[in-house]
Amino acid sequence: MEEFSENESWKDWFHHHGPKLLLCARQWTVSMADAEDVVQEAFVRFWRRQRGLSGEPLALLLTSVRRAGLDIARRRMRRAAREAGALGEEPGGGSLFEPLPEGDDRRAAIESALGRLPSEQREVLALKIWGDLTFAQIAHQLGIPANTAASRYRYALAALRHELTGADCHG
Amino acid sequence: MDDDFQDLEAELGRLRPAVPNPRLLLRIGQELAPRRRAGRGWLWAPVAAAAALAAAAVLWPRWAVPPAREAPVLRPAAAPALRPVAVRDVLVGSRDEGYVVLADGWPAHRLREAHLDTIVWRDPRSAASLQWSVPREEIRIVPVNFQ
Repeated sequence: MEEFSENESWKDWFHHHGPKLLLCARQWTVSMADAEDVVQEAFVRFWRRQRGLSGEPLALLLTSVRRAGLDIARRRMRRAAREAGALGEEPGGGSLFEPLPEGDDRRAAIESALGRLPSEQREVLALKIWGDLTFAQIAHQLGIPANTAASRYRYALAALRHELTGADCHG
Repeated sequence: MDDDFQDLEAELGRLRPAVPNPRLLLRIGQELAPRRRAGRGWLWAPVAAAAALAAAAVLWPRWAVPPAREAPVLRPAAAPALRPVAVRDVLVGSRDEGYVVLADGWPAHRLREAHLDTIVWRDPRSAASLQWSVPREEIRIVPVNFQ
C-alpha cells in the first residue's frame, strides 16, 4: 500500500482512493447516499485530524468508514427501505463498478451475485479485492481471526463462482 | 488463494470501483475549505488595549510621582497585581448583508455582527477589580453550504 505524502492534496488522494472507500462503504450501508455520507464523514475526519497518525492511511480510513457505516445503517435501515419503496427505486441504488469495455452484462451479473452473498463474506471480499487489505488487516478491521477472514473469503469466491456459473448456464 | 479461484480473483480485480459522484467531492471540498472569518484581528485589539491598561495601572505610581529626594513620596503599600479573571463576549446584534462571491467563485454569506467584549481584572490581595468593556464589530464570511 502506498504511503501518504504530506504534500499530496486531498483531491489527489481522494481521486485515487475514493472509489475503493465508497465501494467498501457500500458494503455496510443500505443505500449509495448513505455510503457517500459515511465516506464524507470519515474522510473529512481523517484529513483534518488523523492523517498524521502512524499506520496505513487506507486501513485507518476503512476502519473509520466501517464504524460510521454501521452506525448510520442501524439508524437508517428502516427509513431507507421506506423511502426506496415509496420512490420505486432499487434499494441499493447506484452501480458499484465502472462499466466494462467488453460489455456490461458480466459486470451486472457479478454485482448481482455479490449482492446475494452473506454480508460477512461480502465485506471480506470487498476489503481484500478492492480495499487491498491483507487478511491480517481485515481480521483487525472486523475483529475476527485471520483464518476466519481467509475462510470467509474462500466461501465468498466459491459462492460467487457458483452463482456466476449458474448465470452463464441459464443466460 | 486456491489456484481454482485465480481466474475469478483476476476477473474481480479487473472491476474498477465506480468513481464517486462529483457531489461527494464538492461536499468534502466544502467541509475541508478553510473557514473564512474577516475581522478576527479585532478580537485581539481589546485584549491588547486591556493589557496596556493593566500595565499602565501597575506602572502609574512610578510615572505619576517622580523620584524626589527632598519631598516625601507617597507610595502604595504594594503595586497592584491585577490579573485577568474573566472575559465575556456578548453578541449584541447581527445583520445578514447578503451574498458575496469569494475568490474561488464560491458563494458566501456576509454577516455583520456587533459584539461587546468585557474583560475583568482582579487583584487577589486587595480584591480591587477593574472592568473594561469595548464594542467590537466583526464581519464574517460564511461559505454557503448546499447540503
